[in-house]
Amino acid sequence: MSAPTIVRENSGGLAPSDVSAVAASRGLAPEDLDVRLRADASSRRAVLTLFAVAIGWLLIGSIFGEIASLKMHWPDLLVRQGWLTFGRIRTAHLHAVNYGWATAALIGTSIWLMPRLVHTELKGLFGAIIGAGLFTIGITLGIIAVLAGYSDGMEWLEAPRWLAGPFRVVGGGLIGLSLFRTVAARQNEHLYVSVWYILGAFIWFPMLYIVGKWPTYSGVESAAANWFFAHNVLGFWLTAMSLGAAYYFIPKVLGRPVYSYQLSVVGFWSLAMFYSLNGMHHLVGGPLPTWMITTSIVASIFMFIPVIATGINLHMTVVGRFGALRYSPTLRFIVIGALCYTAVSLQGSFTALREVNRVTHFTHWTVAHSHVGGYGFVTFVCFGAIYYIVPRLVGQEWPSAKLIRWHFNLVLSGIALYVVSLTFAGVLQGLALLDPQLPFAVSVQRTIPGLYGRSLGGLLLTLGHLVFAYHFWIMVRRPQLAGRTRPPFHEAQPVLYTAEAVAADGARVRPAIRAAGTSAAVATPRPDGGAT
Amino acid sequence: MLPTSLAVALATIAMTLAPALLLFWSWRRGLFRDMEGQSRVIFEPGDLQIDRPWESPPARLMREVAYGELLPPRAGEWGGAGDAVMRAAEPELGSSR
Repeated sequence: MSAPTIVRENSGGLAPSDVSAVAASRGLAPEDLDVRLRADASSRRAVLTLFAVAIGWLLIGSIFGEIASLKMHWPDLLVRQGWLTFGRIRTAHLHAVNYGWATAALIGTSIWLMPRLVHTELKGLFGAIIGAGLFTIGITLGIIAVLAGYSDGMEWLEAPRWLAGPFRVVGGGLIGLSLFRTVAARQNEHLYVSVWYILGAFIWFPMLYIVGKWPTYSGVESAAANWFFAHNVLGFWLTAMSLGAAYYFIPKVLGRPVYSYQLSVVGFWSLAMFYSLNGMHHLVGGPLPTWMITTSIVASIFMFIPVIATGINLHMTVVGRFGALRYSPTLRFIVIGALCYTAVSLQGSFTALREVNRVTHFTHWTVAHSHVGGYGFVTFVCFGAIYYIVPRLVGQEWPSAKLIRWHFNLVLSGIALYVVSLTFAGVLQGLALLDPQLPFAVSVQRTIPGLYGRSLGGLLLTLGHLVFAYHFWIMVRRPQLAGRTRPPFHEAQPVLYTAEAVAADGARVRPAIRAAGTSAAVATPRPDGGAT
Repeated sequence: MLPTSLAVALATIAMTLAPALLLFWSWRRGLFRDMEGQSRVIFEPGDLQIDRPWESPPARLMREVAYGELLPPRAGEWGGAGDAVMRAAEPELGSSR
C-alpha cells in the first residue's frame, strides 16, 4: 500500500536564477521552468500593487454601495452631508467598483497572464508600475470630485474629464504599452485566445473613452454617446479581460484544453464584430432615430452567437469534472462567473426586445441585471484569478481555507439575494408603472421589500469583502511580519512530510499523517527518483 | 437623414469593420493554423502530469498513459489554501493509487 505524496512549499529554496535543481526534480527542462519563473517574477510588483489597490477600492466601493442602498428605503439617512447624498454616493460607488476594483484587478490579472501566455518577461515593468500609479491617482481624483459635487453628467463618465482623464489616459496607456511590447517580444509561435481578448480590450477602451468623453456633445447626442460608452465598456473592457482570464484558468486548473478551441475563436471574433452596436438598446423609447434603436436590438440578438459559443466552451470544459470545484476555490469562483456571463448575456439580449424593455426599463431590474454581469461574472472571475495568482507571487499559499470558504459563501449568498430581490422588485415596479389605474406611489411601495433584500445582500457582500481583504493582507504581509523571506511559489521545492517536518510545522499536517497511518515519511517514490 | 450622433455611428461602424478586417488579416497571416497547438499553449511541461485528485481512476490512468507517471500537486496548486487540498485529499490517503 502506498500513500500519495503530500507536498508543501519549502521555506528555504534556491536562488532565483538557479532553477535547474527544481526543474530536474519535476522532470522538466530547466529552460521550461525558467520561462515561467521569469514571467512571474517580471510582473510581480506591478500585479501585487494593482491587486492591493483594487481590494482597497472594493472595500470603499462596497461601503458607498451599501449607503446608497440603505438610502433607497431609509430616505432620511445621512441627508445633512452633501457628499453623502444619493446622487453622489451612488456614482462614487459605481466608479470605485468598476474602475477602482474591477479594472485594476483585471489589469493586474492581464499583466500576470500576458508574460505567461507569450513565454517571455513583462516588458516595460517600470512603465506599467508608473501607469498603475497614475491610473490610481485618476480614479481617486475622479471619485473625490464626484463626492465634492463635480460631474460631467454622463453615466459611467461622471469624473471630470480635465481632472481625472489625463491620469487615466496616460496610466492606462503605459500599461497597455507594456502589454503590447510583451506580445511583440513573444517567444512562442501561437497566440492563445486570452491574448486576443486582452489585447482587444486595450485597443477598444481608448476608442470608447475618446468617443465617450468628447467634449462637444449636446442634448440627445450625449445620451447616444453615453450608452455607446457605458454598454461597450462592459463588453469590450471588463468582459473581454474577464473572458481572457476564464479561458486561461479553467483549462489550467482542470489540466485539459478548452472543449473546442475553434468555438473560442468564433466567440471572440463575433463579440468583436457585433457588440459595439448594442448600446442603443438602453434608449428604447428615447428620442433617437428608430433605425438606430432597431439596429441595436438586432445586434443584441446577434450576441447569442458569441455568448452561446463561449458558454458551450467554458461549461463543457467543466462538465464531468465538477469534483474539481471542491479542491479549487479559483475554479469555484470562475465557473460561477462563467455561468453568470451566460445568464447575464442572454438576459441582456431578451431585455433589449421592445416588449420586455417596456416593462423593465427605468426599474430595478436593470440594476439587478448589471450586478449579475458586474459582480456575478466580472468580480467572481477577479476573485478566482487573485486566489490563483497571489500565492505564485508571494511564495506561499493562502493561510486559511476557512476564510476562503467564508468569503465564497458570503459573496455567493449576498449576490443571489441581491439579484433575486431586485429582479422581482423591478418586474413589480415596471408592471405598476404601466398600469394607468395605479398612482405612481404604488410602483415605489411595491419595490420596498426588494430594496430591503438588496441592502441585506449588499451587507453580506461587504462582509465577504472584508474577509477577503483581511485574508489578502495577512497573505501579503505575513512573511515580512514573521521576518521570513520565501522563494517564489514555483521556485520552492516539494519536500517530504517526515516526522521532523511535522514536528516543525505543527498541526497543519497531522491529519494527513494520521490518515496515512504512519508517523514516518508519507510519500511515494517519485518516478525520477528525485526529491521524494 | 443623418444619425443623431454622427460620432457614435461612425465609431460603431469602425469598431465593427475593423475586427472584420483584422480577422481577415490574421487568417491570411496563418494565425489560425494549428488550433490544437494553440489550445495547449497555456500548459507548461509537467502541468498535465500533475495528479488531479478529483479525476476518476480511468481518467487518471489515461492521463498517466498520455503524460507519464503522475506527479503530486504542490500545496495551493489549485488556487486555494493547502489545508483545503489536504482535507479534500484525506479520504484518499492510505488507499492504493
